[in-house]
Amino acid sequence: MISNFINLAINGASRQYLDPGSGSMLIQIIIAAVLGAGVAIRVFWKNIKAFFTGKKASDVDTDDPTLVLDEDPTAVPLESTTTKK
Amino acid sequence: MPEKVSGSFRDPSGFMFKHEDKLYRQVNQKYHEEYDLLMSSGLYEQLTKSKTLVTHKEVDLKLAPLPDIAYKIIQPEMVDFISYPYEWCFNQLNDAAILTLSIARRALEFGMSLKDASAYNIQFQNGRPMFIDTLSFEKYEEGLPWVAYKQFCQHFLAPLALMAKTDIRLSKLLRLHIDGIPLDLASILLPASTKFNFGLATHIHAHAKSQQRYADKQVSQEEVKARISKSSMVGLLDSLLSTVRSLNVKTIQTEWTDYYQDNNYTPASFEAKRQLVKSFIEKVEPKEVWDLGGNTGEFSRTASDMNIPTVCFDIDPGAVQQNYDLVKKNKEKFMLPLVMDLTNPSPDLGWHNSERESMQDRGPVDLVMALALIHHLAISNNLPLINVANYLAELGEYLIVEFVPKSDSQVKRLLASRVDIFPEYTEHGFEAAFDQLFEILEKAPVLGSERSLYLMKHR
Repeated sequence: MISNFINLAINGASRQYLDPGSGSMLIQIIIAAVLGAGVAIRVFWKNIKAFFTGKKASDVDTDDPTLVLDEDPTAVPLESTTTKK
Repeated sequence: MPEKVSGSFRDPSGFMFKHEDKLYRQVNQKYHEEYDLLMSSGLYEQLTKSKTLVTHKEVDLKLAPLPDIAYKIIQPEMVDFISYPYEWCFNQLNDAAILTLSIARRALEFGMSLKDASAYNIQFQNGRPMFIDTLSFEKYEEGLPWVAYKQFCQHFLAPLALMAKTDIRLSKLLRLHIDGIPLDLASILLPASTKFNFGLATHIHAHAKSQQRYADKQVSQEEVKARISKSSMVGLLDSLLSTVRSLNVKTIQTEWTDYYQDNNYTPASFEAKRQLVKSFIEKVEPKEVWDLGGNTGEFSRTASDMNIPTVCFDIDPGAVQQNYDLVKKNKEKFMLPLVMDLTNPSPDLGWHNSERESMQDRGPVDLVMALALIHHLAISNNLPLINVANYLAELGEYLIVEFVPKSDSQVKRLLASRVDIFPEYTEHGFEAAFDQLFEILEKAPVLGSERSLYLMKHR
């Protein structure tokens, strides 16, 4: 089973030039599974909170350096760019 | 003739080359779809507007050094000075890590992912970290793990954790291991308490164990679908981000951070020295300045405040961090603080000793400043003055240099615990040595001290 995970990870990533490392892939799959559940719970709670407070659920990290700052008149509104769901 | 940049060979998507002193990047046909997606998805726009990705323009395909496989030739915006992770203070490496993860997370929103997380893909420009590898993006395929996970942990997380939890000087391990610090080594060097820190326990300790356990495992050819869902990927990146953000090295009190509070300058002589330095800089009108042993950048700012790109090197990571914090706080654009031990400066490193350039090969510059430095090299490091003059002559055309005599309290301190074996260390001996390589254009006393400041030009 484990080797199958690794196999997919490695074959799936065959276009890569980095060696992702089988041990690194495997631990990542395990950690990500745990953390993914955390993300799902977080989003769920945000939506519940948003329902009761009437405020739109937002996941914007204001410390994110890739944010285009609001005062920039040429800023692209983030909502319009996050379309690929 | 176009000349391939020697550090640019790992990624088959393209490579950097130099043509008539300008830097270009060939985008190979192999990378055609990814490049088009980067440009059309809005990701390029988002990242360049937030000034986190280097901008570029597409130029004539005729410039291609390998035309048979070329898709585009792009000319990226130039970076003032190329620096390397082993020359950054903790906060610089931390900001570079945060930027890398933020870009990886942002890319997901545009249907792309970051295919490498090398610390060498970050450069400091305008006082901020910037991602410089335009070809690091690929189409995101949900289900696939993050291929750069291992690299991120080796290049960023391990050194940051070691600096924060074990010893700040371990940043030097990055110079030894140019593809990042091996995780098993990091795991050994970190204190046991870090096994109770969720981020470090998983991304470093368990990660290292897993690498060891599956290091030589054969994988079968069966095809099974593993899933790292998009939300799991976001969870992974967020976990790395919060781990990186939780690491910090507070005000580092090291030998030199209090230098300006603890010396024999009066405010008046300090200001007089600054004015003197400023008048010398104005005479030279340099395009770029290196300040050697610049501490927290007090005198480097004389140059950078005149909008001259200035690199302030210092051996002390505490002083460099204070300088960097100030750059951030004041949003300074022309100052780059770096950690550098001048008695053992960054050498040529990597494959063929040509992937990463030595400090010297990144020069020479128009103007080098060496204020209150010579006595450290000559007395603490036993360097003959002529050797110091030779080295400085290789780094720059003009030189602003300060001579601090033996009667000065700073030199007395250096000589306090040792025998004075430096009979030539006098103002006359200094001038005689430097005169062999430099023409002394100006000499002025530093008010309120016995020190002298010189403006010299390489003969």
